[in-house]
Amino acid sequence: MVYVRRKIYQKKLFRQEKTKVSPCLICRGTKLLCGKDRCPILVRLSFQAKVSTKINSLALEGSSPPSVFVGRIGYPKVAIGPLVPPILGDTSFIDTPEKWNDITIDRFVDFRSHLVRGRYIVDVHDVDSSNKIVEYTRELALSKYPVDSEVQFEKKPSGKISFYDHAQPHGPTAPIKELEIGNTKYEPNIEKAFYDTDLKARDAILELYKKGVLVSSIQKAFSVGAFGEKKHRKFVPTRWSITAVDSIISAELRERTKENPIINEYRVYKFERFDNRWVILMMPTSWRYELIEAWYPKTTWNPYGYDISMYNSYEFYEGRKTYAEIGGCYYAARLAINEALNRERKQAGVIVLREAHPGYILPVGVWNVRESVRSALKREYEKFDTLEEALESIRKTMDIPLERWIRNSALLKDALTQRRIEDFK
Amino acid sequence: MFEAKVKAEIIKAMIDITSHLINEAKLNVRKDGIFLRAVDPAHVAMVDLSIKPSAFEDYRAEDIEIGVDLDKLGGIMKLASSSDVLSLKYEESTNKLVIQIGNLTRKMGLLDTAGMPDPKVPNLNLPAKVTLKASELMQGIKASEAISDHIALIATKDGFELFAEGDMDTVNLKLPKDLLMEFEVPERCKSLFSIDYFSNMIKPIKGSQPVTLYLGNDNPVKIEFDFADKNGHAFYLLAPRIESE
Repeated sequence: MVYVRRKIYQKKLFRQEKTKVSPCLICRGTKLLCGKDRCPILVRLSFQAKVSTKINSLALEGSSPPSVFVGRIGYPKVAIGPLVPPILGDTSFIDTPEKWNDITIDRFVDFRSHLVRGRYIVDVHDVDSSNKIVEYTRELALSKYPVDSEVQFEKKPSGKISFYDHAQPHGPTAPIKELEIGNTKYEPNIEKAFYDTDLKARDAILELYKKGVLVSSIQKAFSVGAFGEKKHRKFVPTRWSITAVDSIISAELRERTKENPIINEYRVYKFERFDNRWVILMMPTSWRYELIEAWYPKTTWNPYGYDISMYNSYEFYEGRKTYAEIGGCYYAARLAINEALNRERKQAGVIVLREAHPGYILPVGVWNVRESVRSALKREYEKFDTLEEALESIRKTMDIPLERWIRNSALLKDALTQRRIEDFK
Repeated sequence: MFEAKVKAEIIKAMIDITSHLINEAKLNVRKDGIFLRAVDPAHVAMVDLSIKPSAFEDYRAEDIEIGVDLDKLGGIMKLASSSDVLSLKYEESTNKLVIQIGNLTRKMGLLDTAGMPDPKVPNLNLPAKVTLKASELMQGIKASEAISDHIALIATKDGFELFAEGDMDTVNLKLPKDLLMEFEVPERCKSLFSIDYFSNMIKPIKGSQPVTLYLGNDNPVKIEFDFADKNGHAFYLLAPRIESE
């Protein structure tokens, strides 16, 4: 291996950056670190959303894409229920992130805002309840196609649009009084896993993924407690279900990645969407991975800052033992990366750099990370012989200076400073 | 052919010394003992280990290679207490290692060694040699772990030094040469290392057992020690970090 001297990177470069990270970036509406009862960012976004929804009655008829939502507030007593738009027909697009590659943020908010969320409070362990609302919500979650639904609400749906850190936004909500649904046809693989009450949830998820079932469909079914040994089944709040599925699949794929031969070059992939700029650097090393996010002031999770906030999570060969500081995005990107590496039967060390620019004003959900990284890795990449050349290419693409990326990256610091045994003859 | 009787603690020591770097190991079993050499997946560290026949209660072997899943072997060793004497036997027809613990027979499937490399030990210029108690080194490592992810190891004509620097804090472990068990330092030597790696290499050395460090300038460190009542010998090589030129 060619060994290049790295004079340009001075020692001070390797000190961890001391600028303050926006607490909102760490919290993202989930921990309420600001001490308020509700996340002011999410509330303000919801209030400002310029969407008019036509739902102003106690009854709603429409085709659920299919889609369900399981809340997390009040756990273990949570609000479950369907998401139904006032549209009859093939609405599947509205809840299939895998198909959202070419949409604009305006269109995204528009179609998501039409999804009315019905709420019904259940204990998470009550997956087998004979209550019709519980039963039909589950049936929706397992369906392959949109399902015609009729919902009676206790009161008229209120609110405009709700945003979350991990889940996609939805429109007005109301408590459900009655739910009727048309014929459902279960996705056959999901149905098989659902009726297999000896199959562990983890194995069910991996099996379905292997059979080609969409990750978003697995996440929906997982959220209604459709998998696992009978006694362990329960409702899983949507946001946990999204990350649990990303984490389980990516961990399994990662072990397969480790069996593959290591790439022979440095690669740089680039992609842009929703004013998010993505650069993915692959290095010819054994498996290791890092996600670094940089949030400009006035972006979703850095609303009050005057500085760019940067944040990272990483793992070396053995993976992580603790939940990633950066949250669900970490696992969503890890899934997309290992998917691409396994498609090519290769192994690499991978660093994902994300610049969220001021045009990124709404939290659209973790799907954005998964699908953006998937898209990026399907594109042509630039090929380099040395790390220095690859970094110069990154310098040209990103607005944030390369030196700042390095300061905030455990893996780049390691790559620039840690020698290998074979560097010594 | 391989048939042996050995105290469980010898096998446990072998696992402790290697399993933080590698998950799978190729054991070269020969008449004169068992030998293992491997590089970790990141290619940052090397381990070299040998166990003499005298470490065994009974030892008979002709040259073979045995591919071992160290996690699995570690799990099996949990079934035995340190002083238990195990029987080990290589079963060629099934490519299994038969492990007898008291009345328990555990047959462990072995890995194909064909793809496992035989790494070469690089020729290194490491002029300084320092021998000290592992526990003294461990104290410095523990203090450093809290403030930084790397340490400097320095040998001067006056003694040995371990230094770490965080944003606000520093750690300095200074051992003057008369406190060291062995000391040969012809010139000042200094190299930087990852604490994680270094710490994992000192941990398997029990308490006040001696460990010898060979140091150079911006060069790997060689960490050498005995185990199993000097019937086992091991060394690590750890590649340095280089921060400024």
